[in-house]
Amino acid sequence: MMSRRSLAVLIGPVLGAVLGTLATVSAWAASVGQAAPPFTVTDTSGKQVSLADFKGKHVVLEWVNPGCPFVVKHYSSSNMQATQKDATAKGVVWLAVNSTATEHRDFLAPAAMTQWMQGQKAAANATLMDTDGKVGRAYGARTTPHMYIINPAGTLVYAGGIDDKPTANAADIPGATNHVKVALQETLAGKAVTTASTKPYGCSVKYASGA
Amino acid sequence: MTRISKFFLILWAAAVGGAAAAAPSAVVSTPQVRAELVAHAPEGVAAGKPLWLGLKIDHQPHWHTYWKNPGDSGLPTTLEWTLPAGWQVGSIQWPTPQRLPIGPLMNYGYEGTLLLPVAVTAVGAAADGSVQVRLRAEWLVCKDVCIPEGGDFSIELPVQAATAGHAGLFATARAAQPQSAAGTQASAAVEGNQLVLKVAGLPPAWQGQRLQFFPELPGVVQNAGEPTTSWSGNEWTARVALDAQRSESPALLPAVLVTAGQNAGLQIELKLTTAWPPAAPSAAAPLPALGDAQVTVADASPPVGALTLGGALLLALLGGALLNLMPCVFPVLSLKVLAFAQHADDRRGLWLGGLAYTAGVVMSFVALAALLLALRAGGEQLGWGFQLQSPPVVALLAVLFTLIGLNLVGVFEVGHLLPGRWAAARARHPAADAWLTGVLAVAVASPCTAPFMGASLGLAVALPTWQALLVFATLGLGMALPYLLVSGWPALARALPRPGVWMLHFKTVMAFPMFATVVWLVWVLGQQQGIDAVAGLLALLLALAFLAWALGSRSLGLRGRRGFGALALGVLVACLAWALPSLRDAPAAIAQAGAVEPDKDGWLPWSAQRVEQAQAQGRTVFVDFTAAWCVTCQLNKKTTLAQAEVKALLAAKNVLLLRADWTRRDPAITAELSRLKRTGVPVYALYTPGAAGPKLLNEILSVAEIRSALSAVADST
Repeated sequence: MMSRRSLAVLIGPVLGAVLGTLATVSAWAASVGQAAPPFTVTDTSGKQVSLADFKGKHVVLEWVNPGCPFVVKHYSSSNMQATQKDATAKGVVWLAVNSTATEHRDFLAPAAMTQWMQGQKAAANATLMDTDGKVGRAYGARTTPHMYIINPAGTLVYAGGIDDKPTANAADIPGATNHVKVALQETLAGKAVTTASTKPYGCSVKYASGA
Repeated sequence: MTRISKFFLILWAAAVGGAAAAAPSAVVSTPQVRAELVAHAPEGVAAGKPLWLGLKIDHQPHWHTYWKNPGDSGLPTTLEWTLPAGWQVGSIQWPTPQRLPIGPLMNYGYEGTLLLPVAVTAVGAAADGSVQVRLRAEWLVCKDVCIPEGGDFSIELPVQAATAGHAGLFATARAAQPQSAAGTQASAAVEGNQLVLKVAGLPPAWQGQRLQFFPELPGVVQNAGEPTTSWSGNEWTARVALDAQRSESPALLPAVLVTAGQNAGLQIELKLTTAWPPAAPSAAAPLPALGDAQVTVADASPPVGALTLGGALLLALLGGALLNLMPCVFPVLSLKVLAFAQHADDRRGLWLGGLAYTAGVVMSFVALAALLLALRAGGEQLGWGFQLQSPPVVALLAVLFTLIGLNLVGVFEVGHLLPGRWAAARARHPAADAWLTGVLAVAVASPCTAPFMGASLGLAVALPTWQALLVFATLGLGMALPYLLVSGWPALARALPRPGVWMLHFKTVMAFPMFATVVWLVWVLGQQQGIDAVAGLLALLLALAFLAWALGSRSLGLRGRRGFGALALGVLVACLAWALPSLRDAPAAIAQAGAVEPDKDGWLPWSAQRVEQAQAQGRTVFVDFTAAWCVTCQLNKKTTLAQAEVKALLAAKNVLLLRADWTRRDPAITAELSRLKRTGVPVYALYTPGAAGPKLLNEILSVAEIRSALSAVADST
């Protein structure tokens, strides 16, 4: 009877080591139709913002990076701001997310980010500083801009690009279909989103390495 | 020169200079690239003569532009030609790109010198002079930032003379293009979250090589991450993860395959042999999609959505207590508890021992849970029971149980194995002893699952970390509770039978459940790795038993121990060398026939496709999520599911029987379990036509439950 304890001394650490080597890598990003991954992250004013805070409302997540020409295309033409105002006027919560790593040259400190958003007259409810990239990776955010829409039940109903003309030219905006506007119209009316998944375009999100 | 003529001279020079600046030239230079419009017309410009145009881009170091499928971000270079009337221009003949990783993302593109050629068909034959060709090109050039650039180019091609100054460049570009792969058969099938590619008829020199896969269409597969590939004869199979936010559902997926040392590669066309699942299942879809939010759970286990933290903790406590009755734990525990009878008077010592044991159990559970959560947070597709999906762990557990059994039977005493100092240390620190017993108890409990654990564990991994760990700690507390109670209430200890000879018999008898567990673990290993691994493990256990006897037997003298010990050690090393490969390596690929036949009980292997197809036909589906190492699963298989009444009922209702075997790690099954808010097996899911989502039955199935669940389904005609 005493012996089993010494066996534990021998085998316990070995078991522990073996358990630790079981991993096979497989990425696990959010997908449309599933529950949107929860998150809690600090915004540019230093407040903690969680997805759970907005339960019962539609939420739009917009990945942004002022240093990216594609983001500039939609902001300099006021297309993004117009889409934001259109959404927030209907009670939708709009969260801009910046997942740029601190060591990247596109990084803007919270104060500078606030200044830029105000200067652009953006209508986002909050700008989230996702510097360690956790939220971006959970959502599989690849480009700036990359757009997600979450319904009041917490399900992801749209993921993809802002519109269907993948260029850096602002002149292409008037002729393009704004996927976010269309999807919001449908989901706010209680209908299923017809084009729920589109290819996003833009610069890559500048994730922190080794995360 | 007079002043007026000087004035006109300057004006004329300015006009010419201005015009030259406004007119596009063959070259556009930016700080990142030097782009040039080049041509190859070795026989002059005339109908029927070869004519190639192209954009040559010289990238500055570390800057790159993109392929036709740029990958996770970026844009492909675009060319817009202005040619003489009637001329036809083909599409860009893209050279094979390279993989450009950027953090967790992957792009496909080019660095260094690049030529994007197009084939041109001229018409008519101008007698002399030259023709003008103009190009508007746009490209996105990136390093760590991206800059969209563009340029207007123009060149004059002499009609009669040859234009072959860039012949070498065009030849290199042609060699860098993927060749078309005549004689290959390429197909792709969707399996859960993966696309399984099969390509046969590749060049013989490629067999056994590592191949790189470049999809030509964006928005289908995940670009980052390595697909798992294998060769079976001359057929190459790859499993590529699908894009979690897939936006395309093509019937044909062109792709480029490249092998090391052969840069150009082959272009293949993968024909889809399965249907695409709906890219974005939504609540308003007519078919109940697998990912629907509403999951109805049978009455016996509470609705998962309504399970609060308190409920989960209560279930965890009960589940832990029930674990003590499992054949894995019962022998260890009962012998421990019986030992109390010998020390019934040392109240304080007993109580401290009980606390230390509880601490050992709780800490071990929390540690295992923390490991599981950490791995899941890191992105692994794991569920509870994940440790048993790994053959080395199963083998180690078999070793552990064998040694315990042999010790109980009396083949060796650990006191003889370890130096005297250790024995004395153990006697001096009974609390540490008890703590280690707790750790051991958790180790031996892991192969067994008890009812109620499934629901609470499934909920636990979705909770915030501290709450999840609390649930697992409560599970440990439940398991340690009987021991703790006996150690704290001496009256209970005194109620135990007085020690006597019967205790020795009891100790020996307890060895047999241990050996029974070894038999079961060996069977699990056989399911995972095949018969060779079973033989290897059995040989290993035999060698270990010999070694344990040689070193720890009561009756052998020092010389005997040294001699037999050395021999046993040699045998052990030989067995290890023989057995380890079969334990570690993946089993040989089992040849899969094109259409899978149901097994003798009518079960087919599970796949998300099969469920959807059946539901589309209005057929009821019963999915059994099981694993060889899951005792409850095997119990249900041998009792309830084998009943004639149940079989007849399932046949009468024309229920499609699918078995999801989780014996080995399977990301598709893990993902599906997660969607059903479970992390372990067994899970029994019944999909009835018309219901919003699957109904999850109790972990211990009963015939009555199956009967009532199927009562709503009409009999098939």
